[in-house]
Amino acid sequence: MSQTVDYEVTLRYSYALGEVAGRFMQGLREGRILATRCSKSGLTYLPPRAYCERSFERCDGWVEAGSEGVIEASTIVVRGFEGKRKPPVAIAFVRLDGIDSAIANYVDGLDLSDYEAAMKRLAPGKRVRVVFAAEREGRITDFSFVCLE
Amino acid sequence: MKPETVAVLGSYQSNFKTHVDEKTYVEQAQIAAAGALRDAGMTPEDIDALVFAQAPTHFMGVADADRWALDHVFGAGKPVFRIHTGGATGGSAVQAAYSLVRSKLFRSVMVVGAERMAETPDAQEVLNLIFDAFYERDMPLSTNTTVGLWTTCYLQRFGLTQEDLARIAVRARRNAMSNPHAHLKGEITVADVMASKVIAYPLKLFDICPRSSGSAAMIVGSMAMAKRFATRPAFINGSASVTDTYWIGDRLTPSAKLRFVDLGPAAPAARACYARAGISDPAKQIQVAEIYDAYTVMYPVQLEQMGFCAEGEALRLDKDGFWDMDGAVAVNPSGGTLCTNPIAVTGLVRAIDAANQVMGKAAAMQVSRVRNAVSTAVGGIAQFFNCTVFGAEPA
Amino acid sequence: MSAYVLGIAIAPPSVSHDGLRLEELVYRTSRGALAAAGVSQRQLDHVTLGACDELDGRPISSMLMAAPAGGYMTDEIKVTDSGASALCLGYARVLSGEFHLGLVASWCKCSKTNVEEVMRFRGDPFFTRPLGLGAVEADGLFAQAVQEELQISEAEVGRRVADAYRRAARNPRGMRYAEKTLFDVNGSPYDATPVRSGQRAPLSDGAVAMVIASGAFVERNRGCEPLARITGVGWASDSYQLDRARLRSLQSARTAWRSALRMAGLQDASALDVVELEAQTGYHEAAYVRAFAITDEDRISPSGGAFAQNPLFCTGLVNAAEAVLQVSGKAGEVQRAAVKCAAAHSCHGYAQQGNVVALFESAGAAR
Repeated sequence: MSQTVDYEVTLRYSYALGEVAGRFMQGLREGRILATRCSKSGLTYLPPRAYCERSFERCDGWVEAGSEGVIEASTIVVRGFEGKRKPPVAIAFVRLDGIDSAIANYVDGLDLSDYEAAMKRLAPGKRVRVVFAAEREGRITDFSFVCLE
Repeated sequence: MKPETVAVLGSYQSNFKTHVDEKTYVEQAQIAAAGALRDAGMTPEDIDALVFAQAPTHFMGVADADRWALDHVFGAGKPVFRIHTGGATGGSAVQAAYSLVRSKLFRSVMVVGAERMAETPDAQEVLNLIFDAFYERDMPLSTNTTVGLWTTCYLQRFGLTQEDLARIAVRARRNAMSNPHAHLKGEITVADVMASKVIAYPLKLFDICPRSSGSAAMIVGSMAMAKRFATRPAFINGSASVTDTYWIGDRLTPSAKLRFVDLGPAAPAARACYARAGISDPAKQIQVAEIYDAYTVMYPVQLEQMGFCAEGEALRLDKDGFWDMDGAVAVNPSGGTLCTNPIAVTGLVRAIDAANQVMGKAAAMQVSRVRNAVSTAVGGIAQFFNCTVFGAEPA
Repeated sequence: MSAYVLGIAIAPPSVSHDGLRLEELVYRTSRGALAAAGVSQRQLDHVTLGACDELDGRPISSMLMAAPAGGYMTDEIKVTDSGASALCLGYARVLSGEFHLGLVASWCKCSKTNVEEVMRFRGDPFFTRPLGLGAVEADGLFAQAVQEELQISEAEVGRRVADAYRRAARNPRGMRYAEKTLFDVNGSPYDATPVRSGQRAPLSDGAVAMVIASGAFVERNRGCEPLARITGVGWASDSYQLDRARLRSLQSARTAWRSALRMAGLQDASALDVVELEAQTGYHEAAYVRAFAITDEDRISPSGGAFAQNPLFCTGLVNAAEAVLQVSGKAGEVQRAAVKCAAAHSCHGYAQQGNVVALFESAGAAR
């Protein structure tokens, strides 16, 4: 076995939330999902952003997303890693009603012992509902999705 | 003022494996630089400038490692910069070198890089960090899981199966048996692929590239340098890249401009590249494609989006041997990225494999009568895409 | 084949841009450059970024930064050496004839992370990192070498820093730090001998963007008014080793300078009306002035250079923007008279392993 020199490096960062993410997180605490809108392109964005990539102008409005939406893409994570929920877990990108783009989150309430069956319930095109956690901390995990069918 | 013609003068790639524990990063980079110089019959004095290919340094654990490697690649005192576009880095670095020669700023440029994926056990954590800190890091989003989503969509849309994709992995490993540099190689079956461990449904272990370590270098130069140093150069006749939005959710919905499932930026980048290279019918004019297929789904999607066949058809044509070594277009005779993925230089290896086919240097992998070959590289989560066409004659 | 600068934007600097997310800071700056140039993002055919993952706080930082910087649906690429390095590659892309309208953008939020930790992380694990060598220590070694080689006294260093603060105080685009006396500067404690803390330029948060165009684009769009023509660039990197020979030779700086001058068809510094140097300490300014043979002190860094603002990774590109403002007569309170040619210098890496020089000429002079 070859010789090694071992290091552990800690790099600390403090990321400014900025104008938009701060409002979104506050919205989550209030039990609402807020998207930004660009009047020039007409597009609404989740996750919200400060400017519209199509028009390259500032987003100038906020829109509250519907409480239901459609799955655009999904997967069951079997080999995950430490620090997140224990696998297997299901995640999906969902286009909530009234919004143009999709946002990702966990899908709860599924029996994940049979992947094929679970993936049928998670197939693109299936509808889901937003469920908020009882205790919220202004983090993306304040809500998750559950299948409607 | 007519721009300069750019030719590939020589190259080198190491034999890739999980961990290069008998050498340091800088020694790996040196081996590649020296190897490329030897291949081209050049000395360090013949190199005017360098472009270093290095993606996240978090895998090998030294920030700006290219600066550390500078002396080792005979670059001290010379114009150097480093390119970093994630997984697309190697291809972008070739593009940058091409611009430096085409602009006539330099007569010769060496592109060089090395990778050590196994220097840290925390690679997954590193890859989770590329996602947005506020909206996405709390989920187990990774390259594996997002491509899992992609694969679900692709298979559903065209009524294809996991077995159809598994055949891609089988062929890749079989082709790689003729490639002394490839990391993974051997005879496997569709059943083997289907039985391999599920990572992010429907992706299984064998649908996914390995994490490889190794190094590579390519020297490009002007026509005058080609006449001096190369008997049969490959000419870079076109190179283009397109960057998409980061947000996957924007790329999945009906309002998407470029669609995630279509590897969005691939089609516009290929169009721009082909226009520059005078390619109007890729399947007829391009004999070899060395594409960046870190996952099985990327193989058919790229072939379709780059105009080699209609959407949804690549896996059906695959059954008829269309993409075999002696098929209509030889795709990844090297085994591709499914067999070898040393992130910092993967795109460079794709380019080297394509150029070698044109130069007649592909040894056991050589396809006959290659007039044009194309290489690709993909970075981010299908966000950065570049492609380069190499030709036996200048365009 | 020519290349022009059509517009620039320098973000208002800050010790700490807490209220803005990095993407938002960069978006505003890129948007500002496009507005100044009178072109839209959609017209861009290429974008060249300069940024550092470790300073940005994420691996593959350009995934999140490319679009805010203006790169969406363009041929976008990123260099990691410095903002000025990005300008060099952008310039080459225009000269190659395949690109006609581009954006060069760079940024750095120094307040967001421990910069010295990042610098130490650049040390090789075997010989350098165990010594905890970061930028502070490397600058000490550099200062010692040039002090001896070029006969630079501490009095000169202190005077240069005090003068830089005086010039910087008048720069409307800078931090407007209070001026410092020679005593303030040379009476401060050592950071790493012989460099004292007061002799170092303080770090700040910032971003800068520039719209560049080919001569063909300018011809086709007679309504746009270029600010400057880019006449030459040069860049080079020294050995990674910090031995005395490398430190005192300033080899890469001299090479970059000579290359740029040669490309522009200029003989020496006397042809330049303004030179914006990147001097992280007063020792650096003293060394570069000699290496570049600048004899007229009045031409040095009218903006105040790093003592006006110092967003480390892109300080050199800020210098380039200031040089463009000088040749176009738009530098405001720090404008020098009758500026036709200006140089911008940038340095990066341990003890400034790498150097970049870009030369600009008034657009009026060319057309």
